[in-house]
Amino acid sequence: MPETQFQRALRDSVQEVLERMFFVEPVEEPPGEAGSPDGELAVRVAFEGRPSGTLTLRVATAAACQIAADFLGEDVSELPPARVEEVVCELANMICGSVLSRVESSTAFRLASPRLLPAEERPHCQEATDRRAVHAVAIGSGTLTASVETRDPVCPVVEESAS
Amino acid sequence: MAYRVLIVDDSPAMRSFVRRVMELSGFDLSVCFEAGDGGEALKVLRSEWVDAILTDINMPGMDGEELLRRLSEDELLRAIPAIVISTDATSSRMDRLATLGARGYITKPFVPEDLRAVLERTLGDPNA
Repeated sequence: MPETQFQRALRDSVQEVLERMFFVEPVEEPPGEAGSPDGELAVRVAFEGRPSGTLTLRVATAAACQIAADFLGEDVSELPPARVEEVVCELANMICGSVLSRVESSTAFRLASPRLLPAEERPHCQEATDRRAVHAVAIGSGTLTASVETRDPVCPVVEESAS
Repeated sequence: MAYRVLIVDDSPAMRSFVRRVMELSGFDLSVCFEAGDGGEALKVLRSEWVDAILTDINMPGMDGEELLRRLSEDELLRAIPAIVISTDATSSRMDRLATLGARGYITKPFVPEDLRAVLERTLGDPNA
């Protein structure tokens, strides 16, 4: 499938947000099956604009604890789970905003508050479609998978002609 | 000089991050107030004076745009410099916020140097 505008924006946003604000260097890897509910956190952010849709972020708990500690400048062993969840919610918020700013640079959008997903609402396996972009990275102690799903299909990127 | 600032963001993690970056950048914070939305921020400002407000835009309750509007309508509060920190980098949003009186705009993700640069333009060099 040709790379969509969202796929490219998602890849660049995940990279930039993790490097600039969470001080980690992610390494791209193929999207895999969801981990066990005990072993990962999942957050969803709904957005309204042109287009509208949702961003879902899944991150291994060990990786989430590490990036939360780096973000807050605190010791990982002293972080309560609620603080880790706050940071993962903020991470999802930032990736979502970054993606939308890249895709639609002139029209303002609105993000809903990030919402932690209970186990029964978590996606099991996500593949890219014409309405969904998926990007996964390894961040040291686990995998982070981000997906953006729009209500309407998104056009593939048209590469510029060399002529 | 020690500063009194108000950080407005619905994310407690983001409020902690901004505060930490300010302190690491050399800004001596005598008091750092926090608010989860524009309504809470106005409540703080009814009893406390601050040197700067750093605010998010997308927040439940009163959002950042409405907060800026209320500040601009108040004869006293309009003098406080407000800096927006947001994920929204769309041109229409930035234009609107400038019209509402935002003195600075920082797009998330940012590196600490970005925040420091905007704060120095607004508050002055903390090491001067």
